[in-house]
Amino acid sequence: MDNIIVTREVCRYFGSKDTQVKALDHASIEIQRGEFTAIIGPSGSGKTTLLQLIGGLDNPSSGQVLLDGTNIADMTGTTLSDFRRDHIGFIFQAYNLIPVLSAEENIEYIMLLQGIPAAQRKGRVHEMLRLVDLDGLGDRRPSQLSGGQQQRVAVARAMASQPDIILADEPTANLDSKTGVALLDLMRTLNEEHNMTFVFSTHDEKIMERARRLIHLQDGRVDSDQLK
Amino acid sequence: MLILKLAWRNLFRNTRRTVLTVTLIALSLTALIITDGMVIGLIELMTGNVTHILAGEAQIHRKGYLDNNDADMFINDPGPVIGKIKSNETVLDYAPRVMSGGMVTSSYNVAGSMIYGVDAVREVAVSKIKSAVIEGHYLTGGDQEIIIGGPLAELLEVSLHDRIVLTTAEASSGEISQALFRITGIFEFGLPELDENLVFINLAAAQRIMVMDHGIHQIAVRFRNPEDAKNRDNDLYKDIGNNDIEVLNWLEFSPQIAAMIEMSNYVTLVTCIILFFLAALGIINSMFMSIYERIYEFGVVMAIGTAPGSILKLVMLEALLIALISSVTGNIIGYFASSWFEANGIPVGEFEISSIVIDSGIHTRVVADQFIRYPIYIMLLTLVAAVYPAVFAARITPSEALQRSL
Repeated sequence: MDNIIVTREVCRYFGSKDTQVKALDHASIEIQRGEFTAIIGPSGSGKTTLLQLIGGLDNPSSGQVLLDGTNIADMTGTTLSDFRRDHIGFIFQAYNLIPVLSAEENIEYIMLLQGIPAAQRKGRVHEMLRLVDLDGLGDRRPSQLSGGQQQRVAVARAMASQPDIILADEPTANLDSKTGVALLDLMRTLNEEHNMTFVFSTHDEKIMERARRLIHLQDGRVDSDQLK
Repeated sequence: MLILKLAWRNLFRNTRRTVLTVTLIALSLTALIITDGMVIGLIELMTGNVTHILAGEAQIHRKGYLDNNDADMFINDPGPVIGKIKSNETVLDYAPRVMSGGMVTSSYNVAGSMIYGVDAVREVAVSKIKSAVIEGHYLTGGDQEIIIGGPLAELLEVSLHDRIVLTTAEASSGEISQALFRITGIFEFGLPELDENLVFINLAAAQRIMVMDHGIHQIAVRFRNPEDAKNRDNDLYKDIGNNDIEVLNWLEFSPQIAAMIEMSNYVTLVTCIILFFLAALGIINSMFMSIYERIYEFGVVMAIGTAPGSILKLVMLEALLIALISSVTGNIIGYFASSWFEANGIPVGEFEISSIVIDSGIHTRVVADQFIRYPIYIMLLTLVAAVYPAVFAARITPSEALQRSL
């Protein structure tokens, strides 16, 4: 079994004793390379917290988060930034992009952080734009793109760094249902064609239908884990 | 290059704020350039008044003469001293003088006065006595010629060609000595202290009535480059100064002006500090507003792998660009404003500093150094002021930043 993501008894508490909130309560999951997994649950169930822990954006109060065997809770500062840059792609709900850069530049930005040569960057930018079906729109700023197009640029940027995992926190939340479904179909296609591991959170049932695996969170605990 | 592009474009996300910040910094730089130009202008005016009107840039006396102006403390044989002055290539010219306190008596009144016996020819290159003559003519070497200040003439109720009597003491014996003179010229330097108290006669006449033979009390020196006066390593100071004779530059024989100059430098420094402090607050405020508006965005770019150090560099780069734009703008405005004030003067009314009347405004001085040194200071200030916001931005935690409402 090639587990790329493993969380073991992960807890994340916020606040102090009297007002402590258990965002995650001994959550353990295992996700294999190439899976297309949705983390579902109602608001406040711990979806975003779990994604942030997997993405190294936050540290667990207890437990372990292993990415490809590496415990990212032990990483800090630049080491953690570099790990995220090289191994994890992120897609957020909205405002994913740097508004003063064009779509092309937004995609190029992450490769610049990786130190990829200019010629290679340019080639990969065009390839990514083609993959997300945004050929010809590379010179547009985010404000000149629709919400769905912006999210596709975010997908392209997430893929451009060739990460092991792409984490998407409610990527369709700000899109209409048709555009949301189209975005998920795109992600699913990329998952199938490039064997890229996608983990995304959602509470939209139409989106859930596109997932191959559903991990249901309830009050910070893994309530069910269903492979479709 | 993309980072530079990003920093540049970030400046224009909120153009109004950037323009206001640039304006604040640029105007601070302009104010610094004008203040510095004004101080230099004021110093030049004061030193010019001290050195060019009468005193010269350096003076040679018997040691201790300036303490109480004793008439018997004269240089008996000035020849060797003058020889050394003539051989010094940095000296433009010199003027030997005899000076003594005395009384001026007309048919109607009497007044105390300082009598200057001057070499009419040499004085032209050292002082402005000749150009101060507003009525009659300058000294020509005549035995009975005297020129007096306008206010003194009024007090004595005399005019051109009237006769007046000078009463003084013989230099060596202290015996009373008198001589009759005819007014050939009325002068006005515009400095009350000089116009009300001085009279000028020819050197030979002064030496005669004070029975000094060829002796003199003072030699005023003018340098080709005024800055040489301040250089105590100049041969003039080393070759002539000895146990009996002292050579003083204007900073030494006019310590009150030297103190004024020092104070003026403090004024520049204090102005600098106040402007820098205000500009720094403006920069910090502007940078923080810019960062707070972008916290979510910082969260996103940090999440995708931007290291804290890169965020710090980005904010510092934005500050550097602001500093560069401000410096260029401030230099341009500063140049034109200071040039205008150089030509037209800053109207400050009429006031007097150490007996120097300033009534034609302060004319600033435009100096190349102002357009190099102050912009560098401004750029350093901007970068220093930006460190705090930049460190704040670099310490943003992505997970917390991503929870910020948009």
